[in-house]
Amino acid sequence: MSTAAEISLSSAADGVVLSLSGPLRRAVVPELTKALRDAPKGQLTLDLAGVTTMDSAIVATLIRAWRDRAGSLVLGAMSSDAERALAMFRVAENPPEAPKPANTVEALGGAVYGSREAVVDFLQLAADTTFAVFRALRHPRSMRWGAIADQSIDIGSRAFGIIGLITFLVGLTIAFQSAHQLQQFGAAIYVANLTGVSMLREMAPLMCAILVAGRSGSSIAAEIATMQVSEEIDALKVMGIDPIDFLAVPRILAITMMVPLLTVMADMLGILGGVLVGVFYLDIAPTAFINQMLSAVATWDLVSGLIKSVVFAFGIGLIGLHYGFKVRGGASEVGRTTTASVVASIFFIIVADCIFSVLFYVAI
Amino acid sequence: MSALTVRGLIARYGDKTILKGVDLTVEPGEVRVILGGSGCGKSTLMKSCVGLKEPDGGRVTMLGQELSALGEKEQRNLLTRIGVLFQYGALLGSISIGENVALPLREHTDLPEDLIQEMVRLKLALVELSPAEHLLPSELSGGMRKRAALARAMALDPELLFCDEPGAGLDPLTSAELDDLLLRLRDRFGMAIVVVTHELLSIQKITDKALMLSDGLVIADGTLDELKDNDHPEVQAFFKRQAAGEMRGPKTALELLGGRTGLTR
Repeated sequence: MSTAAEISLSSAADGVVLSLSGPLRRAVVPELTKALRDAPKGQLTLDLAGVTTMDSAIVATLIRAWRDRAGSLVLGAMSSDAERALAMFRVAENPPEAPKPANTVEALGGAVYGSREAVVDFLQLAADTTFAVFRALRHPRSMRWGAIADQSIDIGSRAFGIIGLITFLVGLTIAFQSAHQLQQFGAAIYVANLTGVSMLREMAPLMCAILVAGRSGSSIAAEIATMQVSEEIDALKVMGIDPIDFLAVPRILAITMMVPLLTVMADMLGILGGVLVGVFYLDIAPTAFINQMLSAVATWDLVSGLIKSVVFAFGIGLIGLHYGFKVRGGASEVGRTTTASVVASIFFIIVADCIFSVLFYVAI
Repeated sequence: MSALTVRGLIARYGDKTILKGVDLTVEPGEVRVILGGSGCGKSTLMKSCVGLKEPDGGRVTMLGQELSALGEKEQRNLLTRIGVLFQYGALLGSISIGENVALPLREHTDLPEDLIQEMVRLKLALVELSPAEHLLPSELSGGMRKRAALARAMALDPELLFCDEPGAGLDPLTSAELDDLLLRLRDRFGMAIVVVTHELLSIQKITDKALMLSDGLVIADGTLDELKDNDHPEVQAFFKRQAAGEMRGPKTALELLGGRTGLTR
């Protein structure tokens, strides 16, 4: 018995014979492939009499050669080891074809059809949740105050630091950038108008909403999705507990209360950033700067920002819930869903902000 | 009155019909086992019974009432009279075991808080989990989690209990303990218990009557002895733990390459 694999080609009466012997393992695949390719066309007989071992890579190589040569490969003598290896593996004559990926038109159609379903689901959830929120508000005794408090702490208090810091820096940056431009006209005092109005009407609600979408929208989606895939939502349903009442209402109430509060704090800290630039960089007296700002902003500036923030909050909450509830499958889907919910929330915030900003100036 | 009656139940997911007209009757005080291989529709049958899936045809009557025909409040009342043990327990992960068991009591009864606490301890003692009251579900082993889930399913003293694969993912000993527990509950409270499973050991231990599904249809219905005498090939194969028929497959590599067996021997 030889200890190394041997491959040799010889001529015979009815064509060519490829003799294989010794232990045939993965390592000889390149050599064997070359020998099978180089063999002349026509009938090729395999002599496997001296084979001591044969692994699946060799079997696959022989099957591939059989397919390439359109069947003109025949088995000659063979050792019992070779026979056992060949009899062990089953192979389809015509392997099933991989499904073709949908073409562009099909994919587009599928996406449109799918999104129609998602829109219907979303509207259904929005209606159910809104209804349940108002029902809960009419019966304050049945309200889950504990859950609302827990959620409020999570969404509101825990976001306080990061949102405060970011809006403070945004206020500072806006003031600083505009200071440079306005100084050229000797109009540096108008930095006060610009910072005040832009923080109240635009930057504070927007920054708050985007940060809450990233922090709390994602956590709502992830939490509900996890509950969905681990059958916890089903368990609630069969216990006669409505998941909308139990999970959606406290989250929606908490987020719509907390985001406007966070926005008010963001307003103040953003303006503080502006004041610091005015006082320390532009050398304007603090009282002059603040008086200028107070003369520029109206109550409506604050209120319109808060209206926006309520709508943003409601949207973030609903989008998180929607993505959470609609998840199917396993743990990997939870991650994808969470990402998708944040992208959708931020998109919603930007579009809604754009519509509101135009409406508030044009219509009111 | 039967605890559960299912008549001509049809269930579909998309274009795929999972249940093609299933009949099932469960009497109070009996353990009814639903058997069948993977994908035969046994989980769908359970989901349709407890209202997690609307039936696409046929009727499901629990404790004399048809869930899908009831209003919201009556539905809730009926659901408080049944219990469901999910395959992986489905305990709420964010609250303790005790809180999980207390949940149905808090939601559906006006009992004072101290009494609820006492009842939670009773139910936890019933499943021998008293020390775990203040632990979170993630801090328990698989078998303990399932027993905790059983305590929650038992919180409102149901008359009808559904169990989805109670032994799945448990070692044989823990699984046997859970089976004992189910039998004790049946004997003490006269509950009707519906168990969906495919584990032969557990089936032999707990079954009063069994129903075997194959491809969405009932192929056998009766006591375990009746089922063992049933000559349907799939029923026979199931109890003898044989694969249904030889492994049917494509050719072997040997046949494909045109070799004959026994060439060199």
